[in-house]
Amino acid sequence: MDQDLEALYTRRVLFRDRLWATISAARAVLEEPGVLVVGSEVPNLLELDAAATLIVSQDLDIGVPVDRHAAVKRRLADLREFRPSPDEPSVWTPRSSDLLEINFVGIDPAQDPAEAYVIADDELPLLVFGALSLVTAGAELEIAGTKLRIPRPAGLLLEKLVTDRTGEKGERDLLVALGLLQLMSATDLDELSEAYQRLRPELRHVVRSNLTLLSLLGPRAGLPDPRSRRHEVGALLRHLDSEDEP
Amino acid sequence: MSAALEQRARQYRSRMLIRMWDYRQRHHARGVWYRLRRLLTDASHAYVVSSHDAAQLKAEGFAVEAVGTAIEPPKIIVCAPLARVAGLASAREVPVSLRGDLLTATCLVLVPFDRAPAARQP
Repeated sequence: MDQDLEALYTRRVLFRDRLWATISAARAVLEEPGVLVVGSEVPNLLELDAAATLIVSQDLDIGVPVDRHAAVKRRLADLREFRPSPDEPSVWTPRSSDLLEINFVGIDPAQDPAEAYVIADDELPLLVFGALSLVTAGAELEIAGTKLRIPRPAGLLLEKLVTDRTGEKGERDLLVALGLLQLMSATDLDELSEAYQRLRPELRHVVRSNLTLLSLLGPRAGLPDPRSRRHEVGALLRHLDSEDEP
Repeated sequence: MSAALEQRARQYRSRMLIRMWDYRQRHHARGVWYRLRRLLTDASHAYVVSSHDAAQLKAEGFAVEAVGTAIEPPKIIVCAPLARVAGLASAREVPVSLRGDLLTATCLVLVPFDRAPAARQP
């Protein structure tokens, strides 16, 4: 095997192992009803056998519905392989380099997507991003012996597209959104369209603006090549345009 | 501990406010970048052409896109089918992206995607 290819393969396998080990170690909170895995790892988990081939940040975002905050707090004592970060509240760092960080974020379905607020708490403070109000519970997956729930694809994609995306991280996040778009069925796209129509005009504009950025991005290692998907992004944008104001 | 989170919440709200401002400005000068990206999103290919070839297309009735004259220095941007572009001696394909080749071109021809069933519609 070519050395570069072997190195890439090894890195991917190692990352997948770390992701799976992290899920197993965070089982106590991931199996708490209402909790969702959100963020860039979702497309990784949706790959065949959760192969995790997309190169994204090395953390696992755990969405906590605000009405489940107290219940999740009660499970923190079971996170024995992590400890709260002294620098960043809501982040728990692993005790072993074989695991990823976990990052708790709040979900409030009643929140305006443009807003954000903080649940102040000594043990589990949460930043509640309004864009996560667009996310609803989707499929249950069983990974590393842990039953976890991920969001429905339409809401997760909309959450990614309604959020400000700038710089290298923003561009990689958009390519993660492209990874989600690739996995969506016609039913998911209908659901996306319906949710899009419920957004305020300025947020619909943010979605369209992010789609134009996505359609013009260059390729990045370890992420879907946007050049081969430009027609698909353009078709989605034209569809959203047709439902919108000029 | 929550001070850091409060700071991030303020930053999130600030970014959203900027996006709202962008939205209000979409028909004004600041909105030109969105309008340019929107036009490029519908293009399957982009070609840099000479001013002579651009003028020829204009004379043939191909519309000049307004967004090209809303940036400085101005560009002549024309949309034309691939078959017509193939007949232009000066046409040099450039990637459809916001990179140097495309941004520095004075005259551009964009080939729109075929909007028929090839594209997956929601």
